[in-house]
Amino acid sequence: MNKTLIATIILAVVVGVFHFVLRPIFAIDDFSWVLNQYVYFLILVLSIVAYNLILKLRPAMAWRGGVVWLTGLYFYKFILYPPVPWTLLITYMMLWTIGTFLYVSQDEATFKEFRAPLVKVVIGEYKFARIVVFTMMPLLVGFATYKSLIPKFEEPVELRTVHPAPPATTKVHGKTYPLEEISNPFRVDEQDNYKDSFPFLDADKSEYMKYVTEGGTVFFQNCHYCHGDQLNGLGMFSHVFNPTPANFVDPGTIAMLQESFLFWRVSKGGPGLPNESTPWSSAMPPWEEHLTTDQIWKVILFEYWYTGWHPRTFDEESSVGE
Amino acid sequence: MLGKDQRKFRAIPWVLAAVLAVCFAGFAQNAFAKEAFAESVFAEEAFAKEVGAQEAEVAEGEGEPEVEWSQDVFYKDFEGNPLKGIVSGYPAPELGDSDYNNYDFAPSRMLLWMANQQHLYFGSFVLAVPIFCMMIEFIGVRTKESDPVLSAKYDKLAHDLMKVSLTAYSWTAILGGILLFTFITLFPGFFKYMAGIFRPVMHVYALMFLAESGVLYVYYYGWDKMGADPFLKWVHVSLSVLLNLIGTVLMYLANSWATFMQAPGGIDEQGRFLGNIWHVIHSTLWNPVGVHRILGNIVFGGGIVGAYAAYHYLSAKNDEEKAHYDWMCYVAMFIAIFGLIPLPFAGYWLMKEVYAFRQQMGITLMGGIMAWLFIIQAVMIGLLFFGANSYLHNSMARVKGAHRYMKYCKYMVLLLIVCFTMWMTPHTIVMTPAELKAMGGAQHPVVGHFGVMSAKNTAVNLMITCTILCFLLYQKANKKITVPWQTVGNCWIAAIFVFAACNIVFLGVYGYFLPANQRVGLSVPQVTSTLTTLFAGMAINISMFKDSESYGDIQWGTLSNVGCYAIFLLAISFTWLMGLMGYIRSAVRLFWHVTEVVRDNSPDAYTLTIGEAGKMLTFNTLFVWVQFIVVFWVGSLTGKKKVAEARSPEGVPVPAQQQ
Repeated sequence: MNKTLIATIILAVVVGVFHFVLRPIFAIDDFSWVLNQYVYFLILVLSIVAYNLILKLRPAMAWRGGVVWLTGLYFYKFILYPPVPWTLLITYMMLWTIGTFLYVSQDEATFKEFRAPLVKVVIGEYKFARIVVFTMMPLLVGFATYKSLIPKFEEPVELRTVHPAPPATTKVHGKTYPLEEISNPFRVDEQDNYKDSFPFLDADKSEYMKYVTEGGTVFFQNCHYCHGDQLNGLGMFSHVFNPTPANFVDPGTIAMLQESFLFWRVSKGGPGLPNESTPWSSAMPPWEEHLTTDQIWKVILFEYWYTGWHPRTFDEESSVGE
Repeated sequence: MLGKDQRKFRAIPWVLAAVLAVCFAGFAQNAFAKEAFAESVFAEEAFAKEVGAQEAEVAEGEGEPEVEWSQDVFYKDFEGNPLKGIVSGYPAPELGDSDYNNYDFAPSRMLLWMANQQHLYFGSFVLAVPIFCMMIEFIGVRTKESDPVLSAKYDKLAHDLMKVSLTAYSWTAILGGILLFTFITLFPGFFKYMAGIFRPVMHVYALMFLAESGVLYVYYYGWDKMGADPFLKWVHVSLSVLLNLIGTVLMYLANSWATFMQAPGGIDEQGRFLGNIWHVIHSTLWNPVGVHRILGNIVFGGGIVGAYAAYHYLSAKNDEEKAHYDWMCYVAMFIAIFGLIPLPFAGYWLMKEVYAFRQQMGITLMGGIMAWLFIIQAVMIGLLFFGANSYLHNSMARVKGAHRYMKYCKYMVLLLIVCFTMWMTPHTIVMTPAELKAMGGAQHPVVGHFGVMSAKNTAVNLMITCTILCFLLYQKANKKITVPWQTVGNCWIAAIFVFAACNIVFLGVYGYFLPANQRVGLSVPQVTSTLTTLFAGMAINISMFKDSESYGDIQWGTLSNVGCYAIFLLAISFTWLMGLMGYIRSAVRLFWHVTEVVRDNSPDAYTLTIGEAGKMLTFNTLFVWVQFIVVFWVGSLTGKKKVAEARSPEGVPVPAQQQ
């Protein structure tokens, strides 16, 4: 019997057993280092490699290429959780397809072996396969056309600019602040002890903690409805916004920004965003109309304290000293 | 006697080369380190002028001071205060409708972009080719005693490349003229301001062009005459160093205009020149842009020469031609990959300086309006690494003995794909509201961690390390190592790579727990780990080749078609990527001609949509390749004539009585 056919039958059985029997056991809600879907996937891949080696099946290159490609698709569709958006899935599969191509074309002989069945299908040596392929092709095109033309009622996706570039200065409550120079006045105590301390979780610094607590009070009175009581952007109103409110726990938000940037962003809100890359989709009000300057600084202090991030700082400019 | 004299003379080129090297080192030091001495001299001069002006004022005792002092927009003194300078120019103009001209058929900005890009493409090619020729000719001279046949091949290759470069050189000058006229006619107001400040630089630039042409012609036309005598050959090699030196100065001078526009220095807030031309030239982005462009030129030039050779390889009619062009592909790719490995690091340096100049400029680039273009850039860079590795794998397959290492290729591909997936994952994912809800938030709990620099740095360093490993295996492919310490050597190589990979991954993970300013610093040990694998790995690898036996020569002329297409992919990717990054760097000024000094009041002062920019980049890429094809065709005419002349006696019927 053809070894490739044997390999295909065994693969179908193994994947069937894994997917329908083992996967539900591994895919439990509570994360476990042993019983999780990634361990399941690893075992599945190792099993496929193992039985091929043990049985010395050595299926055809085109088969191997196909299985490698399907393994990637299986991972991104069924293993990676929560599911990634369509755009990312396409990107990942494009990369995986390139990788599969590099694998099957690593040398002349391998590529020739990979191409052989495809050539045979096209020239008609595999007659049945040719009939199937050339019948399926127009059907697939038709299906794709149908999918693209069928009316959809979802909001269209949009490319969005995440970090607007701040202006050089901002005017809050009648005072002009140069954004590249200002720092949080409540981060520095009388002895200047907090300037570079990290992490800011030191509860012994009572004065500092007083400001943090005041900032926290402001946050829970005003901000947590959208930004969430864990500061993860999942407040009770967050689901009605697109994009959702910023997730401060994420390493790509406040951890990458200077405090002065936050000061500007909080003070001016959505309406104060620059002309560059309009229209903006920010529902945040200009908090300068509701909070004092000190309250804004304190709430920023709280956000960094709670998340454990350190505000972005820069080294001295290279022009200094010349 | 003659031999003795020759031996005496042989020292001269070394001395000449040493002098040139010292000059180059001095220049490089200038370029890389913002030399303190020169700065202090300028400061002293400025101080002396100030004192002199005050004394003159005191001597006159009355009247308005003759000189006006103003503060520099960028440079600061030792106390961190803005540096003062004597106002020596006019304020920047408030440009109006009369300062811009246009044609009906296309926006002026597009025309200037096209003219600029075409000139830059050709400029980088003609600057890159002499670097190639210098290296190839030097290798040819050094291998003359050990392998005269290979030496002659190297020499011929360098000569052929120069021939192509000569045609491209004239073409570059024509495109430069077109660019200049486009600038003057369409943006006269802005050009007037730039010319007012850069007047002396422009003249020096023109003179340097003259020097470049002179050396280029002597270098090219003296090739055969200077090739016969060993002393003259060394002089000829030295000329290539001089040619590159002048070319580099030329490029740095031209760079100063662009870097001044992006991050000006040496002027006050009104745009008035403060009398120190070095400050205007040497603005904050000058050094990183210069280094980035030199490396970029090498990679771009390698791509073009590689594509040229790949085309000839695919269309070769006999084995000899196939072998020659296969070898040429290899040399070009070797040089291109040599430039590609340090290129991302130069890019990081440039971005660091951009952030240091203006935070908002950095944010506009990396997180703001230009961020999606950087995602496209990430795709293109990934394609470059895929193309380079694919070429190496396919090249390895034609080396006898490579079967020992071919089995590792698939694992290297897997590593590359995993790293590239990390590298490509955007921080902000494009998604529908339904997908957002399904994901539970704007950031994915697993792949969301790949959206920040810690992950990106780790991924790109691992990709480069993987490419280096692939190259070391390629080097070893047909060698049967015989040195007694081969096991120890292999263990060392393995240890270096494993340690480097662990260090890169560890630092990448550690970066998540550090504040941003310290996290940026982690990229240095990561890069050091990567470069250690390159230098230490290669040094041990090459040392092991001593007295090695060969499994057989490389079978030149048997490169697979996939390998050739990988080269085309590289060449097109380089071209497109170069245009993209040039556009990003230039467009980040948004509505400024000169950042925060000269406002762009033309109707074209808008940022293009990604689609429009992509179309323009693609057009520029296609257009320049059409021109390259024409230039290569023109360059090949001489070769065809010579071949025809050489072959004609064979074609002439020989009378029977003479046979």
